Amino acid sequence: MKKTPADNTKDNRFELLRELLLAEDREKFDTLSQEIILREKFAKRVSPLVDEKILDLREKFPEYFGDTITETIKVQIRDSQDEVVEALYPIMGKLVKKAIISEITKLTESVNKTVKEKFSIQEILKRFFKGKKNDADVVLQEVFEPIIEEVFIIEKESGLLSGSYSRGNIADKDMVSGMLTAIKSFAEDAFSKEGQDLEDIKFETFQLSIQNFKSIYIAIACSGVLNATFKEDLADRINNLAEIILRDRSYLSDEERLNEVIFQLLIEA
Amino acid sequence: MIAKKVLLVGNFGVGKTSLIRRFVLNEFSEDYISTIGVRVSKKVVEYQNETIKLMIWDVAGTNGDEKIPKAYFLGAHAAMFVFDVSREETYLNIDQNLQMVKDLSGLEKITIVGNKKDLLSKEELETVVKEVSIGIDLITSAKEGSNVEDAFMKLTAQTLK
Repeated sequence: MKKTPADNTKDNRFELLRELLLAEDREKFDTLSQEIILREKFAKRVSPLVDEKILDLREKFPEYFGDTITETIKVQIRDSQDEVVEALYPIMGKLVKKAIISEITKLTESVNKTVKEKFSIQEILKRFFKGKKNDADVVLQEVFEPIIEEVFIIEKESGLLSGSYSRGNIADKDMVSGMLTAIKSFAEDAFSKEGQDLEDIKFETFQLSIQNFKSIYIAIACSGVLNATFKEDLADRINNLAEIILRDRSYLSDEERLNEVIFQLLIEA
Repeated sequence: MIAKKVLLVGNFGVGKTSLIRRFVLNEFSEDYISTIGVRVSKKVVEYQNETIKLMIWDVAGTNGDEKIPKAYFLGAHAAMFVFDVSREETYLNIDQNLQMVKDLSGLEKITIVGNKKDLLSKEELETVVKEVSIGIDLITSAKEGSNVEDAFMKLTAQTLK
């Protein structure tokens, strides 16, 4: 059907109205399209360059930032020496001890090998060296079995008792801790060179071993004959205990909880 | 229970040990003081609904003549400086002695106690108070038990500040 002049006029008016209403939106749409197209073009050109830079950074990271990182770590360690020492002390102690034991084991093996190779009457010599030593150890262990009598975990400076274990009844533990700290300070002040700590106090049948850590020290009183195996084992267990306490300082303010850990690690084990 | 380390310092013979004996029953032999320069005693006190275990370190003479290990002063939560109101030499250099204790212990406030008030008349005591260059917290008599408890309560209060 053919459009009448009236219809044409209506169409024109509608077109005009649409132009008026949408002109601004169309302009915005065009601008946005341009922007997106431009970005895509730009991305295509820049992307390889960025990838290249990332790859370069990954490969040459130590070269670019090595000095800065080293300096930062140095400053951090210098400013937090106490924390570093406390964190490393138990671990380093164990590592050094393990290394020494390993070396001594190697030496022992080497000596044994030499003995085997050099002497023809192997079994007699073996019995002579090895058997005699074992007999003595067995007798000593049976007669003078080493026993942990007392354990004290004491704050190094104040001498306040944080936790303890006692096999029998002793004098007031708090006062013993205080006096022990005083005696320890006195001995260190009188006899030791700077930075050295008192480590052992011996009685006739009693031995007080002290292991010092940064903020605490652990004193253990033992009776009986303390052979090398017992001492090594005890030192290991003390280091483990110290590690647990120093990692979680809340033990130092919770005597009951600390006493449980002392019992588990040093007495029960 | 909270545990606190407190120090009792002052010249020889001012009555530190007598004050402690008045306040504490649980103590080691006095021989330790002459042997290693310190003796530790213990007293559990109630203060403001708090049970506090006081570990009292009775430190031998601090007038600079004796060599006392510095470690005795470390980790203290409060300190009491005791002088003898009847002996001028025990408070003559009180400023210097106090400063030394402050430096060694790191404490800012120290409780000042004048002991042996039973040996002086009221007028003599007033003269001494004027002579002493710093503020005295309490005047005590270990012999008569006067103000001893108050002095240690003041010390306890210091540990909580």
